[in-house]
Formats: sequence, C-alpha cells, structure tokens
Amino acid sequence: MHNGIHTDKQDETLDIAASGDEIRRACEWLATALRQRDVPDRQVERLELALHEVLANVLAHGGSAARAEPIRIRIECRQEAGEARVEVNDAGIPFDPTGAPEHTPAKTLAEARPGGLGLPLIRRCSDWMRYRRDGGRNHFMFGARWPKR
Amino acid sequence: MSIIHTDVGDNLRKIVILGRLDIPGTESIADELEKLAAAPKKGVVVDLSSLKFLASIGIRALFKSARAVKERGGKMVLVVGTNASVLMSLEATGVSEMIPMFRSDAEAERAAVA
Repeated sequence: MHNGIHTDKQDETLDIAASGDEIRRACEWLATALRQRDVPDRQVERLELALHEVLANVLAHGGSAARAEPIRIRIECRQEAGEARVEVNDAGIPFDPTGAPEHTPAKTLAEARPGGLGLPLIRRCSDWMRYRRDGGRNHFMFGARWPKR
Repeated sequence: MSIIHTDVGDNLRKIVILGRLDIPGTESIADELEKLAAAPKKGVVVDLSSLKFLASIGIRALFKSARAVKERGGKMVLVVGTNASVLMSLEATGVSEMIPMFRSDAEAERAAVA
C-alpha cells in the first residue's frame, strides 16, 4: 500500500478524503490505472468524468459523515470482457443515483439553474450503474464497455 | 490551469482556457472568467478546444458567464475544435442548446459579434 493505493493484477483501490484536490487525485489515478490496463482512451475519459461527478456529489451532498471517513474507490478491469468497472464507497447520506429523476435540461440561459448537471454526465459516461446501501455506506458501481479486440 | 484573453477591436474579447475545469481548476479561474466576461465587449468567444477536462462545475461557470454577457446585451459563444471529451460534456448537460458552439475560431468570432 502506498498513498492509499492497493493493487493486484486486475483490480486497484484508492482511499481519498472528501476534497476537491483529492477528487482530482482520484481522477488522475483512475485514468493512469485504466491506461496501464489498455482500456481505450474514450472509455478512460468517460469513466474519469463519471468518477469526478460521483465524488463531487458526495462532497456536496454527502454531509459530515462523508467528510469524516475515507471514500474508497475500486476499479476492476476485465479486458477479456471489454469492460471496466468503478465502485465508489462512501459513508455519506444515503443516495441512490440510479433512482434519481432525470434532469430536464433548461431551454434558455435564463432558465438554467446551477445544479443538476452531474447526474446527466454520470449517465452519459456510464453504460450501466448499480447501487446498494450496506454497512452504513453507499456502494455505487458503474462501468463502461468497449468492443472486444 | 490558465486563462488568457485577447481583445480584438472594440467589440470582441477572446478567452482561452487551458487545463482541467474540475473542482480545483474551476475554483482557480472562476473569478477571472467572470471578470473577463463582464467587460463591455459585444461578443465573447471562449475557446475550450485545448481543455483537458470539463466537469459540471466548469459548465456552471460557463453558464454564469454566458448569462452575464447576455444580460448586458452581448453574446458569448464557445469554440470546441475537435475536442470530443469537451463536446460530450456540453452535449450531455444541454449546454450546446443554450450557448452556441463552433469548431473554428473564425466561425465563432463572426457569430459572437453578429
């Protein structure tokens, strides 16, 4: 273990604190780890952006519990299946992104509101999402797929 | 993270943002972007074509500036070039419907002062 990073051949885990700088560190770690596993660039970019938005939601809405304990991020890469998965595990307020209502985009700048942009990005950047609440923590998993080579 | 601007004549301001518009990146340039967009120029072109990463917090900063430009009677447009990841962020959040986007500088400049 080094800098909160745990690794094995296909999987890797990182623990971070809830802060903007730590979210950047997590995104850069994710991109590096996926590229080392030959995940296509397009899927790396999608998962990196989705991870940023998931963690930004935890930071903004997870409450004091989310900030008091480390957030754990785990990646699994399955080249043979053409899939990479990311799990974010946090102690914040229960929140299921898979059940959140669809955001209706504003039609004009005057109607545009500051919030509600993260979930559309997570949905666009993921091919699937799953959520469970277990042990007092949110476990949100999402993934991206690509054609097998 | 950097933000650079150039004024072209009396009517146009070009702003180039480089780096990552993630949480720390946006926090570091948001005030400057707001200040640059507030200048009394009719048109504002924001060039995102070399941006490495555009998260929702960065999009909110763009919305805020575009609204400020519009409220003073101007127009803000974006240049995205061939930056696929930036384009994906803008399309997924509906920005492309509200702030005109162009591939080239020339098209963007014409639209901003039209």
